[in-house]
Amino acid sequence: MKLRSKYSSLVTLLLLAPVSLASLSVHADGRIKGTGGVSSIGGSGGGGLIPWATLTSHATREEIGASGFISTVDVDDFTLDVAGAAFNFHDRFEISYARQNFTIKANHAKISQDTAGLKYKLAGDLIYGNVPQITLGAEYNSLRDPATAFAVGAEEPDGTDFYISAAKAWIDGIGHRTSMLNVNVRHSESNQYGLLGFGGDDMGSRLHLEAAGAVFLTRSLVAGAEYRHKSDNLGALREDSATDIYIAWLPSKHLSFTAAYVDLGEIAGAPDQTGFYFSIQGAL
Amino acid sequence: MRIQRVFKTMAAVAMFSVGISACSSVQQESNLYQELGGESGVAVIVNNFIMTIASDERVIDYFAVSNVQRFREKMVEHICLISDGPCTYTGDTMVDVHTGMDVKEGDFNAIVEDMMEALNESGVAIGTQNRLLARLATFRGEIIYL
Repeated sequence: MKLRSKYSSLVTLLLLAPVSLASLSVHADGRIKGTGGVSSIGGSGGGGLIPWATLTSHATREEIGASGFISTVDVDDFTLDVAGAAFNFHDRFEISYARQNFTIKANHAKISQDTAGLKYKLAGDLIYGNVPQITLGAEYNSLRDPATAFAVGAEEPDGTDFYISAAKAWIDGIGHRTSMLNVNVRHSESNQYGLLGFGGDDMGSRLHLEAAGAVFLTRSLVAGAEYRHKSDNLGALREDSATDIYIAWLPSKHLSFTAAYVDLGEIAGAPDQTGFYFSIQGAL
Repeated sequence: MRIQRVFKTMAAVAMFSVGISACSSVQQESNLYQELGGESGVAVIVNNFIMTIASDERVIDYFAVSNVQRFREKMVEHICLISDGPCTYTGDTMVDVHTGMDVKEGDFNAIVEDMMEALNESGVAIGTQNRLLARLATFRGEIIYL
């Protein structure tokens, strides 16, 4: 019930956005199923924990596409609920928005964050030709409740990540199954995806490597894994890199369900945070 | 009946060659043309492909003026050739065929999906489908936006 009220306005927005965009003739099914990926926790098209070089929906250069999603991550001591939407303009630009609500289970304390994303496809194609799809991306994160972030030593309540992303799929890949590899290099000063703000007294590397792999077991069932390197910027708290293994079911180009086992490492003093991620995405 | 017999013979041949390659110490990729069912297999695939295209509103207009019999013939030769079968392609080049049609990337993908459906209907295993699709995909640059 609480979840419902929390998301009601967002869900309304997500439902209305495609309707209003229908008049702009949002129609995107020109790409092969699965090439739009799912929705990352930052809202942009990708995997779950990281964005990918792919742009959301199945829009081609002639089309405009849109997607909306709801995700939840439930680990030992925390939950993260995310809802968001993204638009793909001619498979060149992507804009995205996500609202993250992070809950500390022990005391029901909450931290909320807005993320706005932008992607620009530089070159290449995911499936065809020899040049991988190469995309530049930016994610602006802004905390609605910066008190916790400042309390643990963060310097800023908001910040912008920049990344370059490359993805390549092989139709005849591993075990003759269509397989994909995505690699990102991200510049970020974020602490725990921005939920604990940006910057700190003990800055780690600002360059982070992220990677994801996927194998299409069938045309509708995808299995894979992701890795997101994170830096430890706060002297008071330890931060680890994050990994997940996932399975996604794509019954159509307009609907996907993703489940993952996630290992987020230590978060805010609580070690070994593992659990599950679930996500539903609808796309036009 | 005859087709069944052909299939049985081919299945026996295929199993035999699988047995041979399993026995040989060198791991060798099976011949794609044989895996597609050889001459009769490719004929079935191309038939299903034409039927699928015929009911695909996204792309049917591109084929409105096509000579179906010629398309069938050349498509069979083309698939045979690129799957390492014993054929010669006697049709026009991909560029010549598609110049002036202004095939969009979405149209190309629609055709790829039609081929996937045709391969499914022909009972081709997904791994074999992908081997063929990967080879067909290399012609994209000679087909779209011409």
